[in-house]
Amino acid sequence: MKMAGLIFENPTLLLMMEHFDLGISSIQDKSIQQICTDNGISLQVYISFANLYNGFIPTGDEFKSKDELLSIIKFLSRSHQYYKNEKYPEIRGYISQLYANNEAEIIKLIEKFFDEYFSEVLEHLGYEDSIAFPYFNAIIESSIRVSTADNPFSANDYREHHTDIESKLFELKNLFIKHLSLKGDRSIHRKLLYSLFELEHDLNIHSLIEDTILVPLVREIERSRGIV
Amino acid sequence: MKLKGVEALSRSSSNIAIVESSQIVYEGLVNILIKSHQHYQLYRFDSIEEISATRINCKIDVIIVNPSLIQFNSKDCNTLKRINSSVHWVALVYSFYGKDILSQFDEIIQISDTSESINQNLSKLINSTPVEIESSQKEQLSERETDVLVQLVHGLSNKEIADKLNISIHTVMSHRKNISQKTGIKSQSGLTIYAISNKIISLDSLAL
Repeated sequence: MKMAGLIFENPTLLLMMEHFDLGISSIQDKSIQQICTDNGISLQVYISFANLYNGFIPTGDEFKSKDELLSIIKFLSRSHQYYKNEKYPEIRGYISQLYANNEAEIIKLIEKFFDEYFSEVLEHLGYEDSIAFPYFNAIIESSIRVSTADNPFSANDYREHHTDIESKLFELKNLFIKHLSLKGDRSIHRKLLYSLFELEHDLNIHSLIEDTILVPLVREIERSRGIV
Repeated sequence: MKLKGVEALSRSSSNIAIVESSQIVYEGLVNILIKSHQHYQLYRFDSIEEISATRINCKIDVIIVNPSLIQFNSKDCNTLKRINSSVHWVALVYSFYGKDILSQFDEIIQISDTSESINQNLSKLINSTPVEIESSQKEQLSERETDVLVQLVHGLSNKEIADKLNISIHTVMSHRKNISQKTGIKSQSGLTIYAISNKIISLDSLAL
């Protein structure tokens, strides 16, 4: 199947491709298999994630090889860059534009809410980048035994972070849609909301991959080595 | 592996909470649900209590629960039922329970059921939800809830609010639950924005 056809059906796959470090120029008239081979991406992971972006949840059972696991982690850390450097700052920018036509005091509170939220998100992403992912990589790459005491990772903390991140986003959407009667430029309001929904969509997929695929697989490796 | 189409995107997902202590049974059930290719978000909880604590984060559509975990806990269960009447309750049964217990559920999954019949019954149940049941409910906060909101926004703890308004901590907590449910907002800073934009409090009354 040609990648272009899939993109016509669901353009959010472009974002997925970016998370795989692929740009539009890699699509051309190529088949999915070709794109994966050319770029050293596991076909299994690629298809499975494409299905996820199309709304189908994979079981995770299909991934077993080291390369697949490592590419999943790479995908996730590249998504972090997108959240940190693009999406959150973009939303922040739209919020600042609301000053022009709305009460400054209210917008200031929203900015404060957003900034606190964003710093929580950054903290969680930082935790994943500097603690969770390196630990996953190490445990996948080598056959080392890590004692329980040294195990820096807690799946429960992880899930809790995700819930917090999603629930604050839900609050933001509620505020903008139901409670704040914003005045002024409608196109900014729309862009702001679109951005929130885009962010939410990608975040949902992100935590789904982590909670239902990656973490269970890591747990399995841990169990097989008697770490937990 | 086959590529799947895009049609599922338009279908919004259903949130299913599963309360089952056996890992084997839980994972088996999850695998069956995944096979349905429905867009389900699955959440595992250790107890009914835990669901009420996190309810606001994900609107639960279906609760699948092992009845043995409810028997001793029927109070929490009833509170949940009252607050969220649109939730479907499904019993996950693999030992004997009396009719009086099972009749409280909207649907029953037996351990011997086939994947097909489980998924069929579940999707029937979910699709039977009357659309927009909640829109008729008032989202307006009651007077007492507004009182609690004002104190919350000023940073008072549950205990302090209870003392000040002369109500029990339990009542404060139930007001808080209702506030979150009606507004969709839980955090103090979110509620502050809500209260100010709805002119419940003025900016001057807050020491910012």
